[in-house]
Amino acid sequence: MSTTGMGGGGRFGGGGGGRGAGGGRPPAGGRGGAKDGGGKRYFFRRRKVCKFCVDKIDYVDYKDVKLLGPFVPERGKVLPRRMFGTCAEHQRKLTLAIKRARHIALLPYASE
Amino acid sequence: MSDRVYEILFIADPNLGEPEVDALTAQVQGYVEKEGGRIQKVEKWGKKRLAYVVRKHREGTYVLLVVEGAASIVREVERRMRVTDGVIRHLTVRVDEDLRRAETHRRKRAAQEEKKRARGSAKPARAAVEEEVSE
Repeated sequence: MSTTGMGGGGRFGGGGGGRGAGGGRPPAGGRGGAKDGGGKRYFFRRRKVCKFCVDKIDYVDYKDVKLLGPFVPERGKVLPRRMFGTCAEHQRKLTLAIKRARHIALLPYASE
Repeated sequence: MSDRVYEILFIADPNLGEPEVDALTAQVQGYVEKEGGRIQKVEKWGKKRLAYVVRKHREGTYVLLVVEGAASIVREVERRMRVTDGVIRHLTVRVDEDLRRAETHRRKRAAQEEKKRARGSAKPARAAVEEEVSE
């Protein structure tokens, strides 16, 4: 499928794509096949959209464990924005809500 | 105007029975009212598993109070809750501003959608008019 030269080019391009993914707005497509490249998971990355914007949640409630749950994996950490594509505003509100929920023992600080 | 809305969420000792929790809740409400606050809502969530151990408890009874009043009530109510046996954890959050902001957002969005819909329905009408003219 690719010559050695092409492969090198692909890797280079893949690296660029990876950086794009870090920014949360990767260009569609991308090679993703390269070892050190960006697309580790997807060949065609879907543009991530903030869940809170889509669902039109203006107030992130700390009491709503069902809402916060997916953003706090087993280890108890707050998922970074790049994983879910949360927008800055909602990520800010989300972390505050998670911290409040932790204080009142609705969410763990760390897994046991 | 200066009145604010707070949510006071506390966890009661799981070893307390239902009437004792009610008594405790009434006691906390008393703290609030004594400071001149008004109780808007009382919500009993019942016994829940805690995410981690709090004062050697794995479970707790959650009670939520929504309270309206001056800012000064918070300090006194929190101080009293800290020394009240049976309250193993508490959290007070001011919610009026955030809820108001959320409400404004919602209204703005509704207005925008209304406008969009109005535009959407206006367009075909204009197209129809143009068609008539061309004929």
